[in-house]
Amino acid sequence: MRIDYNIKDKIDFYIVIPVILLISIGLVSIFSSTYNNPLAQNNFEKQLYFVVVSFFIFLILHFLPTNTFKIISAPSYIFGLLLLLLVLVIGKKVSGAKSWLGLGVFGFQPSEFAKIATILMLSNFLSRNNNNIDSIKDIIIALAIGFIPVALILLEPDMGTSIIFFFFILILLFWKGLSILWLVVVISPGVIALSAIFGTTAFIIALLLLLVILFLLNKDLFFNGSVFALNLGAGFFADYVYNILSPHQQARINSFIDPSSDPLGTGYNSIQAMVAVGSGGLFGKGFMSGNQTQLQYIPEQWTDFIFCAISEEFGFIGSITVVILFLLLLGRILRNASNTRDEFLSLTQIGIFAVLFIHFLINIGMVIGLIPIIGVPLPFVSYGGSSLLVNVIMIAIVSNIYRTRKNYT
Amino acid sequence: MNKINFASLNRKAILVGVLVTVALVFSIRLFQMQIINQQIYDEKSAGNSIKAIEQIPFRGVFYDRNLNLLVDNIPAYTLQITPADYDTSLNKTLDAVLDFNEGTVSNILMRNRIYSKYVPIRIKRGIDFKVVSWLEENYNYLPGVDYIVEMQRGYPFGVMGSHLFGYSKEISPKQYQQEKDYYRPGDYVGHNGIEKAYEKDLRGIKGFKYVLVDSKRKEIGRYKDGSVDRESIKGKDLVLSIDGYAQKTAEEEMKGKRGAVVAIEPSTGEILALVSSPEYDLNQFSYVTTKEFLDQIYNDPDNPLFNRATMSLKPPGSTFKILAALVALDMGVINANTVFHCGGGFTFGRFFKCHGSHGAVNVVHAIEKSCNTFFYNLIYKIGLNNLKRYALEFGFSKKTGIDIGEEAAGLIPDESYYEKIYGKNWPRSIMASLGIGQGEISVTPLQLAYFTAITANNGVSYKPHVVKGYLDNSTGNIIKYEFPVTKTSVKKEVFDIVKEGMFLVVNGRGTATHIRSNEFKIAGKTGTAQNPHGKDHALFIGFAPYENPKIAIAVVVENVGFGGTHAAPIAKKVIESYLLKGKSSNKKNQMFTQVMQTGEEIAD
Repeated sequence: MRIDYNIKDKIDFYIVIPVILLISIGLVSIFSSTYNNPLAQNNFEKQLYFVVVSFFIFLILHFLPTNTFKIISAPSYIFGLLLLLLVLVIGKKVSGAKSWLGLGVFGFQPSEFAKIATILMLSNFLSRNNNNIDSIKDIIIALAIGFIPVALILLEPDMGTSIIFFFFILILLFWKGLSILWLVVVISPGVIALSAIFGTTAFIIALLLLLVILFLLNKDLFFNGSVFALNLGAGFFADYVYNILSPHQQARINSFIDPSSDPLGTGYNSIQAMVAVGSGGLFGKGFMSGNQTQLQYIPEQWTDFIFCAISEEFGFIGSITVVILFLLLLGRILRNASNTRDEFLSLTQIGIFAVLFIHFLINIGMVIGLIPIIGVPLPFVSYGGSSLLVNVIMIAIVSNIYRTRKNYT
Repeated sequence: MNKINFASLNRKAILVGVLVTVALVFSIRLFQMQIINQQIYDEKSAGNSIKAIEQIPFRGVFYDRNLNLLVDNIPAYTLQITPADYDTSLNKTLDAVLDFNEGTVSNILMRNRIYSKYVPIRIKRGIDFKVVSWLEENYNYLPGVDYIVEMQRGYPFGVMGSHLFGYSKEISPKQYQQEKDYYRPGDYVGHNGIEKAYEKDLRGIKGFKYVLVDSKRKEIGRYKDGSVDRESIKGKDLVLSIDGYAQKTAEEEMKGKRGAVVAIEPSTGEILALVSSPEYDLNQFSYVTTKEFLDQIYNDPDNPLFNRATMSLKPPGSTFKILAALVALDMGVINANTVFHCGGGFTFGRFFKCHGSHGAVNVVHAIEKSCNTFFYNLIYKIGLNNLKRYALEFGFSKKTGIDIGEEAAGLIPDESYYEKIYGKNWPRSIMASLGIGQGEISVTPLQLAYFTAITANNGVSYKPHVVKGYLDNSTGNIIKYEFPVTKTSVKKEVFDIVKEGMFLVVNGRGTATHIRSNEFKIAGKTGTAQNPHGKDHALFIGFAPYENPKIAIAVVVENVGFGGTHAAPIAKKVIESYLLKGKSSNKKNQMFTQVMQTGEEIAD
C-alpha cells in the first residue's frame, strides 16, 4: 500500500494512462491502415520503435530536476531557430513543404522541436518578473519570441504548424493575463488575414467589425488608428502569402469553402474521411475490416487521417473513446497548470495544453468536416516519429512538474 | 492587476469551457455521423469500394426439331483498350495490325471518351489468331491493350437461315433508352428473326461478380470471397420447329433464285422451313461487320435483307383457285358435280382467256387442269364480300402473327374496296381475274403456306411459328410454347373434294405430274402470277403425304415463268428431304441420297 501511494505521488496517472491508451489505439490503427499498403510496410514497426525510445526519454525527463527546463529554455530556443533555418536550406520536400531534415533512416521535423523550445522560451520571458504584460515593449518582445519561428515555418511553408504556433502563443499570453483589448490587438491580425483570403467583402466586413470593437474597448484614437493600420497591413500581407502558398495548400483552403465542388480533387480527402467515419456506425466494421481504410481511399491515412481508421473500424465507441481520453488528458493538464504556483511552470504546462488541444481540435475537426483540411497529426495516435517524441517530451515535462509539485504549491 | 489576471480562475474557466465545448461538439457530430446518418455514409462507402462486374451469360442456342444443333456459340477474340493505361501513339500500329483505315482506333476511342478511363473499350471483335499471338508477343510494349474471349454465333449444321435466325448487334441508343433496366451500352441484342423475337429467352440472366476496388478503381480482390456473387444463367436453348434437312434443301434449291419457300406442319402450325432468297451471310453480321459488306448488301438490287417469305406481296395466281373452290363448295353455290363449259375462255364485258379448251369440267377437274373458265364463272357466284370473309378465315389479308419478324398483311379486295376507287358502279368485269388469283389480290408466301396447311388439315391448324419451345437442360425435356388454334367454318367434305383436285394435279393429268413420287403422294396446285414488269412469278402450293399430311408447302420463285416448271420441283425436294430424313438407318440415308438424285433428274 505504501509503495502504491509513492507511485501515485510520483506519477500522475490521469496523465500517463490516457497517453498510454492513445498510443495503443494509435498503434492498432497504424497496423490496420498500413497492413495492406505496400508504401507503408514498416510503419508499424517504426512507430513501435519510437514508442520504445519515447518511453526511455519519458523516464529521463521525468526524473530530471525541474529547473532544468528553465535553464535550457534559451539555448534550446536558439538551437530550434537554427534548425528551422537549416531546414530551409537542406530540408527535404514532403508534399510541397520543405519541413524535414534527413536524420539517417528517419526524418525529423525541426518545427516539432521548435514547439517545445518556443513554449519554454516564451514561458520563461513571460514569467521573468511581474512586469505589466500590457506594456507595449513586453508584448512586442513576447510576440517576437513567438512569431520568429512562425515566420520561418511559414517559409517552408507549413500552414498547419504555423496555426498551432499562433494559437499556443495566444493562449500563453491569455494565461499570463493579457487584457481583452490587447488580446483583440493580437488576435485581430490573424482574423483579418483569414478574412482577406475569403474575399474582399469578408475583408471589409471584418475591418468594420474590428473598428467597432476597438472603439467599444478603448477611446484612444491614435492607438485605435495604429491597430487598424496594422490589421490593414495584415490583410494585404495574407493576400500576398496566399498567393505565394503552394498550390496544394491553396487548394485545401478553397475546397473547404465548398468541398463537394471537386469530389475527386482537393475535396476528396474531406469527403472520403467523412464517409469512413460515418460508415463506422456504433460498433465499427471491426479491426482490419474497414473498407475505406483497407482499400486506401484516404491517402496516408496512418498520419493525419488516423482518426478515420479508428472511427471506421471501431465505430462511435472507438471515436468517442478517443475524444474522452483527450478530454481527460487535457483537463488534467489544465488543472495541474492551474494548481502550479510557479509562473514559468504554469505557463509551460498551459503551452503544452495549448499545443495538444489545438492538434486535437484541428485534426478531429477536419476529419469530421467541421474545419478545413489542415495537415496536422493527432497527438500520440498518428504515425510519425518526431511528432510522437515531441508529444511524449511534453507529457514528460508535465509529469516532471507533477512529481515536484509540492515544491511549488 | 497582473497578478489577478495570471492563471486566474476566470481564465481557467474559459479554457475549461472551450475544451468541454469542443469535446461536446465533437461528440454530437460523431453521434450524428455514426449513429443517425450511418446508413447514408455506409451506402457511399459500399458504392465506393465494391464494384459489380457484369457476367454476360452464354446466349441460348438453337436446335432444330430433331435436336440437331443449328446455331451455337463459338469463342472469338476481341481486342480491347483500357484508355487509362493506353498510349495513343500506338494508334497507327493498331490500325495497321487490325487492317483498319488510318484513324479508326482513334475514332473509336473518341466515341467512347464519355465512359470511365478504366473501363476497357472494345476495338475489334473476331480478331484472328495471328493478331492474338502478336498481342501476346508484344504485351510489354502495348500498355492498356489486351484481348478477351467472347462468344459469337456459329452455324454448325450448314444452314444459313439468314432471315430465320437473324443476328445480334450492339444495342442502339434508342433501344437502350427504353430498356435501361437490363442492358448497358455496348451490350449485344438480337436484331432480327428469332434472335430478336426470342431475345428475352435467349439472353439469359446476367450475373454479377462483386469485386473490391481501390480508390483508383483497380481490382484488388473478391467481395466477401465471392459469397454474394450471382452466377449468370445461360439463355434458354430454343428448340425450333424448323427441320434442318428441309431448311437446308430449300436453301440449296433457292440458291441463285429470287423468292421464298415456306413449309408448315399442318397439324401444328410448326414451320418446317422458311427461306427467303437471296440470303446473306449471318457470319458477316455476327460481331464483325465490315463497311464493304454493308455497302455491298445495301446496294444489291436483289435486296437480300428483305424477307421475301413474310414480306413480299404477289398475286397468288392459280393457287388461289383452291380457296375459290373451297368457298363456292362451302357456300353451296356449286357442288361436286356442278359443271361449267370451257370453250377456251369466258366473256363478261370482255373476253377472258383460258389456257386451253377443257370442255365440261367439274370442280375437281377444274383444279386438276387449272381451268380458268370454271373459276371465272365461280367468282361471280361467290361474290367478293363472301370471298373476303372466307379468305380472312384462312389467314389472308391480315398478318398471320408468326412469332418472328416483320410481316406484310396482303390484300383480298371486297366490294367496298372497289367502291372506294371507282364508285358504286365499279366495273364488275374486274372480278373475273380475281377468280384466278390475279389482279389486286396480294399474298405473302407465308400466307400461302399457312393456307395450304389449314386446307391439308381440313380447316384446323395453329398460328404459324418457328419455335416449338426450349430445352430444359436439367431434365432434357422440351418445354413447349403455346400457340393459338385456327379453325375455319368450312365443312370437312368440302376439303375432301378440293384435296382430290389437288391430288390429281400431281397424280392425275394435271399441271405438276412431273413431281409425282413413288414414296408418298403429293397433292398440290401450281400457279403463275402475271407480272407486268418482267417474267411471270412461278408458284406452287402442296402437301404430302396426301392421306395424312405431314408437310404443307408454298414456293414462290420470282420472274422465271410457269409455276409447274420452276416452283413445283423445289417443293418436291423439300418435301422429300423432310419426309425421308425421319428414317434414320444408314440404308434409308442412302435411299435419301438416291431419291435426291432422282429428283434432280426429274426436274431437268
